[in-house]
Amino acid sequence: MADNWSFVFAAYGLALIVLVAYWRFLVRREKELSEGDQVRRLGSDVSRQGSGGSEPQATASRPPSP
Amino acid sequence: MRSLLGGVTLAGLVAGLVMGLGIAPRETTQGNVQRIMYLHVPSVWVAYLAFAAVLVASITYLVRRAEAADRLAHASAEVGVLFTGLTIATGSIWGKPTWGTWWTWDARLTTVSILFVMYLGYLLLRGMIDDRERGARFAAVLGIVAAFNIPLVHFSVYWWRTLHQPPSLMKPGPGTLPGSIVTALLVNFAAFTLLYVYFVTRRARVLRLEAEAEA
Amino acid sequence: MVWKDLLVERRSKETLNALFFFALLLLFMFQFALGPDRERLAGTLPGLLWLGFILSGLLGLGRTFLVERENDCWEGLLLAPGDKSAIYVGKLAGNLLLMLVIETILLVLFGFFFNLDLAKALPGLAVVIVLGTVAFAAVGTLFAAMTAQVRARELLFPVLLLPVEAPVLLATVKATEAVLLGETLGSVAHWLKLLAAADVVYVAVGVLTFDFVMEG
Repeated sequence: MADNWSFVFAAYGLALIVLVAYWRFLVRREKELSEGDQVRRLGSDVSRQGSGGSEPQATASRPPSP
Repeated sequence: MRSLLGGVTLAGLVAGLVMGLGIAPRETTQGNVQRIMYLHVPSVWVAYLAFAAVLVASITYLVRRAEAADRLAHASAEVGVLFTGLTIATGSIWGKPTWGTWWTWDARLTTVSILFVMYLGYLLLRGMIDDRERGARFAAVLGIVAAFNIPLVHFSVYWWRTLHQPPSLMKPGPGTLPGSIVTALLVNFAAFTLLYVYFVTRRARVLRLEAEAEA
Repeated sequence: MVWKDLLVERRSKETLNALFFFALLLLFMFQFALGPDRERLAGTLPGLLWLGFILSGLLGLGRTFLVERENDCWEGLLLAPGDKSAIYVGKLAGNLLLMLVIETILLVLFGFFFNLDLAKALPGLAVVIVLGTVAFAAVGTLFAAMTAQVRARELLFPVLLLPVEAPVLLATVKATEAVLLGETLGSVAHWLKLLAAADVVYVAVGVLTFDFVMEG
C-alpha cells in the first residue's frame, strides 16, 4: 500500500493498451488501403485486356514512397 | 526505412520501460508511485511537440498549399490529442494515491485539459467538413489560433493556481532531482519522441493512401 | 445598397432585443439554480457575470454571418475586391459594440438583483470588460466566418470558441473579482497585461487569416 504499485501498473498498463491499440489501427488501415489499391489496379488491368481495341486506360502509377 | 524506425522506437521504449520501472531508484517522498512520472512527463512533452508541428504545418499549408503539409498537420494533431489524453490519464492515476483525489485543478492538469479540448475541437472540425480543400484551410487557421493560444493558457492557468494558493506538489525541476532519475527520464523522453515520429509518419501515410483512394 | 443597410439595422435591433431578453432570463436561471441566499452567491458573482457575458456572446456572435448566408449575399462577400480583412475588422467592430451593449445591460441588471454598489468599481470594471470583450469578439468573429460555411454550425461554434477563450475567462473573472472588492487595477496588472496580449494576438491572427477563411 505504501508504494502503490497497483497504480503504477494501472498507468503503465493503460499506456500500453492505448498505444498498442493506436498502432494496430494504423497497421490495419494501411493494409486495407494498400490492398484496395492493388485490387483497383488489377481490376483495371483485367478490363483493359478484355476490351481489346478500345483506347488504353491510364492507370495511376504508384508514386514513390517518401 | 520504416521498419528501422519502428525497430529503433521499440528498442527505445523497452529501454525506457526498464529504466523507469526497474533501474531508476525508488523516490524518497512518494515511493514507487513516482515512477508514473516516466510516462506522464514525456507524454506532455510529445503533446507540445505535436502541437508545435501542427503550427508549422498549418502555416506551411496556407502559404504553399502543399497537401503533404496538411496531412502532417492532421496526423500530428491526432497524435497530439492521443498523448494529451494519456497525460491526463496518467496524471490522474498518479494523483489518486499522492493527493488523495482523482482530479485536481493543478497547473499542469488544467493546462493540458484545455489543450485537449482545443485540439479535440480541431479534429472535430476536420471531421465535419467534407470538402478536402476547405477542411485543410479551416483546420490550418484553427491550428494557428490554438498554437498561439498555448502561452496564454500557460500563464493564465499558472497565475490562477499559484497566486494565493500553495504551488502544486508535482513540480520536479531537473536541477533538484538525483542524476539517475534524470537519466531515466531522458531515456523515456527520447523513446517517446521516436514514437511520436513513428506514429505521425504512419498516420500521414494512411492519410495519403486515403486521398489516393478517393481520387 | 441602402436597402441592405436598412435590413441589417433592423436585424440588429431584433438581435439586440432578443439578446437582452436572453440575458435577463440567464440571470433568473442563475438565481433559480443557485438559490436565493445572496450571501452565498456573493463570492461567485464575478464568475456568474462573465458566464452571462459569454453565453449571450455565443448567441450573438454565432449569428455574425447569418444575414449574408440567409440572403444569398455570401457570394458578394467573397467577390468583394481588395483585402477581405476589412470585412473582418468591420464585423469585429459591430460585434464588439453589440456585446458591450449587452454586457452593460447585464451589469446593470446584476447590480439591481444583487444590490451591488457599482459606482466605485465602474472605471475598473470598464477596463476589464472592454479588454475581455475584444478578446472574445476577435476569435468569435473569425470562427463565425468559418462555421457559417460548415454543417452543424450552431454546435461547432461554441465547441471551438470556448476552449480557446478559457485563459480569457480566467483572467477576466479574477480581475473583476479584485475590482469588485475595491482593489486597484495595479494589483491585477498581470491579468490586464495578459488580456491585452490576448487582444493583440487574436486580432492580428484574425486579420491575417480571415482571407483564407473567405476563399471559397
